[in-house]
Amino acid sequence: MRMSGSISKLFLLAILIICCAVFCSSVKATPANKRALVNYFGPFLDARLNACTTCHLPSTLKAPESLDEFPHNPFGDRLRRLGEELDSAGKKKDIPTRLAIISKEDSDGDGVENLVELLLHHAPGDAKDKPDEKELSGLSKQQTDFKKFLSAYKWKPFEPVTRPEVPKVKNTKWARNPIDTFIAEQHEIQKLKPRPEAPKEILLRRVYLDLIGLIPTPNEMQAFLKDRSRNSYEKVVERLLADPRYGERWGRHWMDVWRYSDWAGYKEEVRDSKPHIWHWRDWIVESLNSDKSYDRMVREMWAADELAPEDSDALRATGYLVRNWKLLSREAWMEDTMNHTSRAFLGVSMHCAKCHNHMYDPIPQKEYYNMRAIFEPYGVRTDRLPSEPDIKKDGLPRVFDTNLTAKTQFFIRGDERTPDTNIVITPGVPKFLGGKFHVEPVQLPLLAYRPDRREFNVQNAIASVEKTVAEARAALEKLKNNKETKPEQMVEAEGRIKFAEAKQQSVLATIRAEKLEEKRDSAEWKAAAREACSAQRNFAVLETKEKLETLRKEQADAQAKVDEAAKKTNTTVAAELAANTDLLDRAMKVLKSAETNFNKAEKAFAEAEKDLNEPVTTSYKSRQIEKYPTTSTGRRRAFANWVTEKNNPLTARVAMNHVWLRHFGQAIVPSVDEFGGNGRPPSNPKLLDWLAAEFMAQNWSMKKMHRLLVTSSAYRMSSSWDAANARLDQDNVYLWRMNPQRMEAESVRDNLLYVTGQLDEKMGGPEIPSAKALASKRRSLYIQNAAEKESEFMQIFNGPSVTECYERKPSVMPQQALALANSELSFAQAKVLAADFEKEKSDSFIQKSFERILNRKPKASELKLCQEFLQKQTERMEQEKKSVDEKPVVANAKSNAAKPPSAPSPQERARQNLILILFNHTDFVTIR
Amino acid sequence: MKPDSNPHKCPGISRRSFLADTGMGFTGLALGAMFFKEGILKADSIGQTWRAPDGKAHFQPKAKSVIWIFMCGGVSHVESFDIKPELNKYAGKSIEETPYKDAIAGGKADKNVVDANATHSTRKIIMPLQTGYKTYGQSGLVVGDWFQKIGECADDIAVVRSLWTLHNDHGTQLTFQTGRHPREGAFPTIGSWVAYGLGTLNENLPEYVVLGQPVGDCCGGSWSFGASYLGPQYAGVHLKVNAKNPMPFIAPAEKISQEEQMENFSLIGRLNRLAGIDYPDDKNLQARIKSYELAFQMQMSVPETVNLEKESAETKSLYGLDKDETKSFGEQCLVARRLVERGVRFVQIFHGGGGGGAWDSHSEIKTNHTKLAAQVDQPIAGLLKDLKQRGLLEETLVVFGTEFGRTPGAEGTGRDHHPQGFCAWLAGGGVKGGVVHGATDELGYHAVENRHFITDLHATVLQQLGLDSHKLEVPGRKRLDLDHGQPISEILS
Repeated sequence: MRMSGSISKLFLLAILIICCAVFCSSVKATPANKRALVNYFGPFLDARLNACTTCHLPSTLKAPESLDEFPHNPFGDRLRRLGEELDSAGKKKDIPTRLAIISKEDSDGDGVENLVELLLHHAPGDAKDKPDEKELSGLSKQQTDFKKFLSAYKWKPFEPVTRPEVPKVKNTKWARNPIDTFIAEQHEIQKLKPRPEAPKEILLRRVYLDLIGLIPTPNEMQAFLKDRSRNSYEKVVERLLADPRYGERWGRHWMDVWRYSDWAGYKEEVRDSKPHIWHWRDWIVESLNSDKSYDRMVREMWAADELAPEDSDALRATGYLVRNWKLLSREAWMEDTMNHTSRAFLGVSMHCAKCHNHMYDPIPQKEYYNMRAIFEPYGVRTDRLPSEPDIKKDGLPRVFDTNLTAKTQFFIRGDERTPDTNIVITPGVPKFLGGKFHVEPVQLPLLAYRPDRREFNVQNAIASVEKTVAEARAALEKLKNNKETKPEQMVEAEGRIKFAEAKQQSVLATIRAEKLEEKRDSAEWKAAAREACSAQRNFAVLETKEKLETLRKEQADAQAKVDEAAKKTNTTVAAELAANTDLLDRAMKVLKSAETNFNKAEKAFAEAEKDLNEPVTTSYKSRQIEKYPTTSTGRRRAFANWVTEKNNPLTARVAMNHVWLRHFGQAIVPSVDEFGGNGRPPSNPKLLDWLAAEFMAQNWSMKKMHRLLVTSSAYRMSSSWDAANARLDQDNVYLWRMNPQRMEAESVRDNLLYVTGQLDEKMGGPEIPSAKALASKRRSLYIQNAAEKESEFMQIFNGPSVTECYERKPSVMPQQALALANSELSFAQAKVLAADFEKEKSDSFIQKSFERILNRKPKASELKLCQEFLQKQTERMEQEKKSVDEKPVVANAKSNAAKPPSAPSPQERARQNLILILFNHTDFVTIR
Repeated sequence: MKPDSNPHKCPGISRRSFLADTGMGFTGLALGAMFFKEGILKADSIGQTWRAPDGKAHFQPKAKSVIWIFMCGGVSHVESFDIKPELNKYAGKSIEETPYKDAIAGGKADKNVVDANATHSTRKIIMPLQTGYKTYGQSGLVVGDWFQKIGECADDIAVVRSLWTLHNDHGTQLTFQTGRHPREGAFPTIGSWVAYGLGTLNENLPEYVVLGQPVGDCCGGSWSFGASYLGPQYAGVHLKVNAKNPMPFIAPAEKISQEEQMENFSLIGRLNRLAGIDYPDDKNLQARIKSYELAFQMQMSVPETVNLEKESAETKSLYGLDKDETKSFGEQCLVARRLVERGVRFVQIFHGGGGGGAWDSHSEIKTNHTKLAAQVDQPIAGLLKDLKQRGLLEETLVVFGTEFGRTPGAEGTGRDHHPQGFCAWLAGGGVKGGVVHGATDELGYHAVENRHFITDLHATVLQQLGLDSHKLEVPGRKRLDLDHGQPISEILS
């Protein structure tokens, strides 16, 4: 969050005002501590005690400026001191632990225990405020209820995952796998009845769209309906998980979470992300298809350059960090990296702590900058690829530590203009999440920091000089065969050849020497080095000479322009004089710079000639196209290891929540990027913990988890409504039915192409320009998506926002109706499909169209409506055609030629319209 | 259209109630906007008591609609609505040689500018006013001669002369719409908050419409009328004043007769209603049926709205449609009136969009502003007069703004970017006429009296529409005090 100084001051003031006004006094009790108190007592905390005054006294100062200026009352003081004691003893000191320890103490000395006072809605830190006899008589019920509340399963997202026991449920018949038992347990508590299994047609369409993003073909549907075996559904799931289109479907999901963006910028200028970032997209798709473990994917995305510096396949993964590259502001670049890394992988809003201590979670402001220091050294570069020497055409955008000594500064109130230079920031992770963070620098192999030494680059260099020689020779041959060639042309061409050959010899000799560099003491290297030295000197003479000649000409041109301009100043008209003087001034400037350059070149040439006569040595110039630091800080590797350690409380939970959201249309923790105090509580914490534990136990295999989820009874439920259940749980929080969903933008477009067999299933490669989104037949994840470079059609269907897209929120709006009813894509596809079914009779045409587009047979009522439609529209259009045909037509050759070869007959036209209508049917975009 | 009269054997109650809920054909749309909201509501409401806005004002509104006119590139404040005669007096001198040298002393110049672009640093040599000025109306408002026609409306407008913004480059065009620094990216724009909070007043047009060439890609692009986390259904719908192609997909990509399309949409409606019998609870389906009806209507109503043929010659000339220089912008202003007449909530008009913006006069400001002001002066004045004569001005709030002012100091023959103090004006919709509020210093350098950040304009707009922005806040999207702003109550009647 960016704020200028005066604004953030306002902001702090606002916090103080809120604290003072609402809670009468305030606070070192950060809101995070208060939140912990509320969480611990839940509904047992009286509204009056949900206040800073439970632990604090009013400030003695008139206008308190800091949160430190509100002293503790006895209860708060005891809590604080206990915290310090536990801390110095190296024990857990979180608020719940402390509250439990002092529950039987009497902090304010009024004769009533802390917990008793709290449960009876009296202040435990105020001796004057205590329960009377009557209140005390109701204590035991409160105590029993509270005990029950405490023993209920607790959502502790910041503690390492422990695997909950699978509950025993009554509905054992329904529960196919452990997931179901967690859901059945809640059904039983909430008195809900799960809906029956969905009809086979609906189930198959659901799982196809879910796993590969495409609907089943009629043949696939037939085969499934016919398959009576017990595991017919499981077989489909296996097949779909092995289908490469799975990687494309789920790749797009993770591209959402990881903020994939093609390069963006103003005209040709790259301002965000990088060209060729699609290599990262392809890495995502391939990694998912090969079921690369999630922890490894995460490690590669942050630190492939440190973990596998020579593995260009793995380096593609660092596109995750490349994507945050920004031309205009390093601050914004770092801020995005921090903000989204913490939200996407940890479900924690670190960015709140940029300007102040976090209000809801125990994250001191300093820890924001500690974590930022992990990313501070990194930069972005594009490596050459074997297939393409020109990095404008293709290349591998990747990260590396470019500034090893980059200092991270602590910004007072988050304002980069006011760094606090007294605070030293070292790399670190948020402490409240525990775990080990150990940084060790990485020594990089030669080819990682000198990519020009990679064999294909060497070969490219050799090929390039060879090509120049060949071209020069060919040019000479051409001149020889031309009778009109003048002798000076021949001389020049021969000079070109000499130049190219000298360059070739220099490059080849240098490469030979470079390859022997590891054996610097050998006679072999010495000989090669001397050869390189000599070849380089020979070429230097030619090179400097050529430069000199070019500059000599430039200087002459500049002189001519000056002379010309000088003549023009010979005028008496004032206005002209002013303009021409200006012209002369500019010409003089050009001349001066040309002279300087010429003089430099003259010197260089003289030196080259002089060198030629010096004794040959072993010192030659290395080909140094690119040179990068030989070490990497290892900070990102340390971070990646910390995040993917199994005791990191959040990584597996957050990932599983994302997976669950996309299968079930509703996440377990509804705030998918915020698991902290400002997030929303989970609907089924035990289930999410079990999923996280299972995910890690399965070695972070995504496919194993998908299989588990989609084969559960919960997933197979019908999405049909049930009034009795709805009365108890209108929002389906406890999953008594499957959630109906709307196709994502990609699925809408892909399936429009797929139902007609037109979808081009080629995988990977450069992005398709967004302007071609409706003409291209490639899958939608390959269509360019970047700020201001998005497909309009897909954005209308809530396509991915490039700034952040943790969850798609499908809307319903008229632009979608217009896009599906009116776009060229819909019309074109309708024609293709109508032609496919051209030979069918009307009934069969309708039936086949329903089956192809909606994956079901038409109901009798629908069949009837559609028949009537075809009949009436055909008749009406025939009538119209007749009346047009009867009119005399003035024909000429031109208009006949321009006439489309085959305008559809009224019947064809009506059929095309019916297909178009089915694309607009709610059952096309809806996943039941 | 006839009501759906197909005799099917269906479970009576659910079918009947479903048809009642979704209307009986291409009729009423009152529920439409609410259904769209419920789609969002469901996704967000788990375990929370929060509900999306119901489309009702939070308190008695003073205005129904807003026309938000934005000049891209930065209009000179000192030569438009905040005339500074001192610039003539000290012309050619450095600010440091004037009694007002404090304005740029000790880093004060860029105090509130975040992530400043250094190329637009302080311009010290004072440039004289490049246009004359006069006083207008009973209020005696002083206006530069580039805006004489708007000057004639002086007694209907309230000028705010003490705005400031966060950034000194054109990205801050986005700030003007969202209140956020451009490098923070997309946030809901003021128009989207209005659409989100209030919903529609009509049955055949979008709630939030954008006219003119928007802000360029460099400076916010479509984000400058986007809705960010509120969802695309609240984003501005960009219309071109071209009856043949006013918006994407509004016309079928292929030739299709109206009758044919009517038959098609009718069957879509019928089939979807049949599906509704199986899924009587499906709110998205109900919304979809409505959205198809609205879409069908929009195909006619959108081209009709941007078609100006039926406007009288007198009206056309009032907006300057009869002159080449004013025709294009005049058409947009006239369409804006037609849109609010038809119940559109928020109309955003851009002038000089694309790139940094046409008003960005780093050189030859005299030529530039003379030319551009001539394009907008009469159309805007025409709009104010037309709204007034039709009795629409009382319920329509018109806002005229730009991303920043221009430096009192010269940049050659132009003026540079100036975010430290600049102006905007408002008219209608419960705003007092003939009022000047706030002030910059004598050079027009800093806003010094009653300073207002951009979001105070947003807060003013929302207040006049009866909305409390705090009540619109979305869970998990904490907004800062500065995002909400404070209504400028001094200019409200």
